[in-house]
Amino acid sequence: MKRRDLLKSLAWSGAGIAAVSCRDQEEAARLVAESGDVDQRGLTWQKAPCRFCGTGCGVQVGVADGVVQAVRGDEASPVNKGLLCVKGYHLPGFLYGEDRLRYPMLRDGSNYRRISWDEALDLIASKFREALDAHGDRSVAMYGSGQWTVHDGYAASKFFRAGMGSNNVDPNARLCMASAVVGFMTQFKSDEPMGCYEDFEEGDDFILWGNNMAEMHPVLYSRILENKRKNPSVRIVDIATRRTPTTDYADMYVQFTPGSDLALANGILHLLVANGDVDEAFVRENVIFKRGNENIEEIGFGCWGPDGTSTNPADGPAERYGFGDTARNSSLEELERFLEDYSPARVSEISGVPVAQIRSLARMYGDQSRGTVSLWCMGVNQHSRGTWMNNLITDLHLLTGKISRPGSNPLSLTGQPSACGTVREVGTLAHRLPADMNVNVDAHRAIAEDIWNVPAGTINPRPGYHTMDMFRALARSDIKVMWIQVTNPWVTIPNLNRMISERPDDDDRFIIVSDIYPTPTTAMADLILPSAAWVEREGVFGNTERRTQHWNQMVPPPGEATEDAWQIIQVAKRMGYEHLFPWPEDNWHEPMYEEYREFTLGRGKDVAAYQQLRETPGMLWPVVDGKETRYRYAAGYDPYVQKSSGVHFYKAKDYGEKAAFWLRPYHRPAEVPDDEYPMWLTTGRTLEHWHTGSMTRRIPQLHQAVPQGYVEVNRADALDLGINEGSMVKVSSRRGTVDLPAMIDGRGRPPRGTVFVPFFDENRLINVLTLDAMDNLSKEPDYKKCAVRIELA
Amino acid sequence: MNRQRRLTLAVGSLLAVTACLSQPEQIEREIAASSAEVRAARRAYDGAPPVIPHDNLGTTCAECHDERGVNVPGLGYAPAQPHNETSGVGETARCRQCHVFAVTGAQFVGNSFVGVAQAPRSGARATDGAPPTMPHRLQMRENCVACHTGPAARTDIVSEHPERENCKQCHVEVAVTRSFVPPNTAGVE
Repeated sequence: MKRRDLLKSLAWSGAGIAAVSCRDQEEAARLVAESGDVDQRGLTWQKAPCRFCGTGCGVQVGVADGVVQAVRGDEASPVNKGLLCVKGYHLPGFLYGEDRLRYPMLRDGSNYRRISWDEALDLIASKFREALDAHGDRSVAMYGSGQWTVHDGYAASKFFRAGMGSNNVDPNARLCMASAVVGFMTQFKSDEPMGCYEDFEEGDDFILWGNNMAEMHPVLYSRILENKRKNPSVRIVDIATRRTPTTDYADMYVQFTPGSDLALANGILHLLVANGDVDEAFVRENVIFKRGNENIEEIGFGCWGPDGTSTNPADGPAERYGFGDTARNSSLEELERFLEDYSPARVSEISGVPVAQIRSLARMYGDQSRGTVSLWCMGVNQHSRGTWMNNLITDLHLLTGKISRPGSNPLSLTGQPSACGTVREVGTLAHRLPADMNVNVDAHRAIAEDIWNVPAGTINPRPGYHTMDMFRALARSDIKVMWIQVTNPWVTIPNLNRMISERPDDDDRFIIVSDIYPTPTTAMADLILPSAAWVEREGVFGNTERRTQHWNQMVPPPGEATEDAWQIIQVAKRMGYEHLFPWPEDNWHEPMYEEYREFTLGRGKDVAAYQQLRETPGMLWPVVDGKETRYRYAAGYDPYVQKSSGVHFYKAKDYGEKAAFWLRPYHRPAEVPDDEYPMWLTTGRTLEHWHTGSMTRRIPQLHQAVPQGYVEVNRADALDLGINEGSMVKVSSRRGTVDLPAMIDGRGRPPRGTVFVPFFDENRLINVLTLDAMDNLSKEPDYKKCAVRIELA
Repeated sequence: MNRQRRLTLAVGSLLAVTACLSQPEQIEREIAASSAEVRAARRAYDGAPPVIPHDNLGTTCAECHDERGVNVPGLGYAPAQPHNETSGVGETARCRQCHVFAVTGAQFVGNSFVGVAQAPRSGARATDGAPPTMPHRLQMRENCVACHTGPAARTDIVSEHPERENCKQCHVEVAVTRSFVPPNTAGVE
């Protein structure tokens, strides 16, 4: 050992004897606390929710010199307790792609030229005004996002409904969780889950319905895995159409034929009744029974042709669907008769699930000694009977009374960071107003007109176009001016061939796109607006578990980029709607939010005050007297409950303050494999990429991990077709073709006869192949089931 | 050339250069710099989870990256994993939730992000001879031996007394910041 090292070592060992007391540790912590949040490296740290998924992880953002230089998981956030996923850890990079949009750009022939904000905003205002005057309120549209902040969504909704008198505002969340909204509304008359993330520690059995949580909600899956590590009796059941990283940690993998989850859920209900596992006291006190329109001929699938599945208008008749259902009252006795069709043997035949597994699932749901948490996301929501499937999962909990109590809940997961906070709570769907209210209800419009201080009759009672219809109307030129913010429909809309794909010189439509990077959607725009992203602006998101989270602006946006809400407000002001946005330019976030908050107070949707959001890692609504609610409808937790014990579904006035159990049958999917197209195609996401990859693909580490789209092929199918790992495979449906490299036994392993393709790759658009069939009630399209053929390219 | 080979070359050439020098201190500095460079190249910023610098070996990560680190014959030294105590990062954890392979060196488009650089600091000593405090947070790296001991440790942070095991008996974590700041105090331009 060198002399210098020896001396050092001696010094260390001598000091080692002086063990550190608790008092010293406290003092050290105090000193750091007093030194503020600038750390030794010169970084200032502040909280923000993650920009990406609906989990809503708390992030500490490290800023120096006006630039985000680091992030870390926020240990004070109850959501993630310090952990992030690979997307979250690489958040800073998404702000600094070299091709950030910096200036408003106007189409000029085949190019774009830079214009000023004044020119851009004046132009939008005049286009909207011209369209309104010449073609009316159906000719203007705004296509928004579950990634809009609460401010963005509130500004858009108010501008459209209270300003232009149009309800043509709808978000990409229509493609994402509209079925969950209709599910909760039809059963509880109030949207969003009763449970919260503490269910992950409180529950015993976690039943995942078509939900690859390990990749899509990785931090939440970690919470379940941690529970399982501490409590080996915890069980995870993965009900899915392909094996995924989620399956690797599951105690039981239940593989079902795409679309047959409807039959499987009814099969479990059948056994619960047959086994005497109905919680009769709970049902008598808290549940009513309903039944809706089950006629497949009347419902269709939202496309053309006699059965509603054709994509060719010549096949007529026109698409059949509409808002609402024809509900009638039902009963437990009728349910018992209804379920006779769903014997284990028949369900097994429809679904391919072994009878033993159906029985096993029924025992789990029926076991009153164990907490049961059902989890689902896109597999259930992006389903041509997605609302029904949402209903059926909640039915399992209603029949067994396993609801609104810690560790027993149907917990619907959302995909986008503010799908709940903005789309569902602010109400940016074409038929919604804030706080569970609808534009087609007179009393609801009156409440909104009062808070917005506009004359009675201002708000249009007719719902606007939902997303699928909005783009069909644009293709027909019924919509003349469309403004798109924070989303990328020319990658994500199913059956992309039905979208307009080029802009003729005499096109009378005007498309405005606000984004942060060039995308296939900005390529369709007449006017491109540069937006500020994430911590380049102040904002509020609301996550899956009803947690509203606020963040400050921390860095300046690049170039002349501005926040989306500001863009909307400026256009509104130019159209004569100054009165809708009366707040000072330098302080409008808080007063706008507080105005929105008025809608929520006293309605069981009470969001926290702005100041409280600043000071906390988010609050779970309803927030009453400054206290959050972990379990809605539960006595002892929810201040609105007027019972001393049990549950009280107080929002469902029409149901006598009970929850509705809906009888929902099995319907076949819109398109099933046949001789010509013999395989199922299912699409989805991947851990490393957020949606269409416009942000995550610009982060080197994420792009380098998953640089391109691929097709997962079963090894036996690959052998039959001479496909090797990496072979280029031509995937074709009735609507189009795409070439993709094959992945065999990779992270996802589909069964024979199924292929999976992620949708993030704008150069390999899988949505050219998908079918635009949709749920009859939510109008959410089904990205998980259509028929394809594969061959070596 | 993939990232791993580039790194190996970079380290190799640095070692070759330093081998010509006669002063031991100079060599020590060069080796420290190179080990720091390797570490930095695998991370988006100081504190980011490193990308996986080797190919997929078809086994579980914890097989080699256990609590102590493993010398894998023919492959090299697999350092211990540093966060076995982190909530949610238990034995059922998914390493690849945060650590990813690089299957290409290409970029989708260029990116100008520059993360905070690693800057090893000394901990504070209350008196001469007192044990230094920990100069960094323990979040996600509670297992001190992962970075401060073994052949994979950066040379400038290697502990001289790894045999003492319980590091936290003498060294305390002070790099704790408050979780939330009062509003409107950010350095917004």
